[in-house]
Amino acid sequence: MTPVPAPPAARSIRHRVLRRAATEQAAPERNVLVLHDVTKQYPNGKLALREIDLVIPEGDFVFLVGPSGAGKSTLMKLIIRDEVASQGQVVLDGQDLARLPRRQVPKMRRKIGIIFQDFKLLPTKTVWENVAFALEVTGTPRRQVRPAVDRVLSLVGLTAQSSQIPAQLSGGEQQRTAIARALVHDPKMIIADEPTGNLDPLISWEILQLLLRINELGVTVMMATHNAEVVTALRKRVVALEEGRIIRDQEGGAYHHEE
Amino acid sequence: MISFVVFSLRRAWQGFWRNALMSFAATATMVLMLMLLAGFWIVQTGLLSVLSFTEQKVEVTADVLDGSVQSDVQAVMTRIQAIPEVASVTYLSADQNLALFRQRLKDQGRDDLTQYLDTNPLHASLDVKLKDPHVFGGVVDALHAESAVIGNVQEQQQLVDRVLTVTSILRTAGTVLLGVVGIIALFIIVNTIRLAVVARAEEIEIMRLVGASDAFIRWPFVFEGAFVGILGAAITLGLLAAAADPISSFMVGFFQVVPLQFGSLTRDLVVLVVGAGVGLGILGSWLSVRTYLIR
Repeated sequence: MTPVPAPPAARSIRHRVLRRAATEQAAPERNVLVLHDVTKQYPNGKLALREIDLVIPEGDFVFLVGPSGAGKSTLMKLIIRDEVASQGQVVLDGQDLARLPRRQVPKMRRKIGIIFQDFKLLPTKTVWENVAFALEVTGTPRRQVRPAVDRVLSLVGLTAQSSQIPAQLSGGEQQRTAIARALVHDPKMIIADEPTGNLDPLISWEILQLLLRINELGVTVMMATHNAEVVTALRKRVVALEEGRIIRDQEGGAYHHEE
Repeated sequence: MISFVVFSLRRAWQGFWRNALMSFAATATMVLMLMLLAGFWIVQTGLLSVLSFTEQKVEVTADVLDGSVQSDVQAVMTRIQAIPEVASVTYLSADQNLALFRQRLKDQGRDDLTQYLDTNPLHASLDVKLKDPHVFGGVVDALHAESAVIGNVQEQQQLVDRVLTVTSILRTAGTVLLGVVGIIALFIIVNTIRLAVVARAEEIEIMRLVGASDAFIRWPFVFEGAFVGILGAAITLGLLAAAADPISSFMVGFFQVVPLQFGSLTRDLVVLVVGAGVGLGILGSWLSVRTYLIR
């Protein structure tokens, strides 16, 4: 019940960028996420992930691609410790999640911002309330909520829509609300599960631009997607999963394997 | 800590009204269950007071022969009083017995037919009260021995034994039945509250994903359950208060007993209804939310 003070998001992201710039030469590069020899078998016997090794340094932007059922969702569940690996280690921000006491799980989750294809906004709350909700339910003192919410809303460009409810928003605006909510805890990493799956191409690009900007501010981004056009155009790091294995991990990759 | 409680209470209040239909369904179920519980309890209390009233009735009555000398009767009373099992010996004259008989008829609302009699057909009597209704000791034999003064001794031993067996069975059965009703009420209320929780599963999921701790997820629902309990208890007590007069006349009419203290009945009833309501509400929410917490 110790409320974690959420430092004003935008400012501290800037701080972090500055701090990183200052210490870049001195400190070795830090890894936000390390998966070592991770296998996940569900109780029904299905092997969702096999012997996964993956290292994601701080500030990286990673596309996670692969057909449905390849294990992308399971991988994300392991990172937020919704599931626990059957074998191997998942280390988030230096902490082995399997050894994390149950009570510490919520705190760890505040280091990750999650975005979904279906937005997962509360339909009866306004944009502002939806974002503030993430702070309120984690015990943030009320006087810190307002400035933090106002900052992330201006970051995603929704200040004008802050008193509207999700039904009054376009799909892109709803996803931006979800991104603001994911950012409000000032996370180390954003995990996006098909964030553009429900959006038309133009809006998808808008969301991508926003995620890239957040990445530039120093937040690591991992995005699972089927959007080949976006992946191929951006030439970021691409991790391809198939039948629970990593079949490709390529800097500046395309959606499909290139010779 | 205070802000946590304020947060939880506010969320509980919002949750109650945001899903008003479900909340009222839960409250209505709660009222029904509490009514059932209170009804059973009232009947049980009535039954118990009848039983203890009946047990008090256990005494040995001996007719005093007409024309006995007062000093002889006095001597017999002293000797009977000396028996260790005897609590008290009371002399009732024939007139007193008639008056008591008439009073009893009146209490039971029956016609007094004795007014058509020319003479008093009743005898004077000695009423012997026992310390413990189960233990007669030598009282009956001792009375029989006083044949100069004592006529008929009303032998109740077998009847009393039977009454006592019945009362103890009824006591046990009543308590068991009350417990069973309580458990059924718990199941139904847990189920209703679970529906309300399931309706908000999405909200709970979001709370988990943004890193809310278990306490922040659980306590708003627990408070909401307590709120449903308090509201249900208040409505139940309101209904019972409105029905208090019919209930008490039912109690007197059905059980044929007067000695009911309605003051203590009301206090116990309020404690029972509020306690059961809040307890069931909290327990129901606690069990329902548990499914959604971090595994």
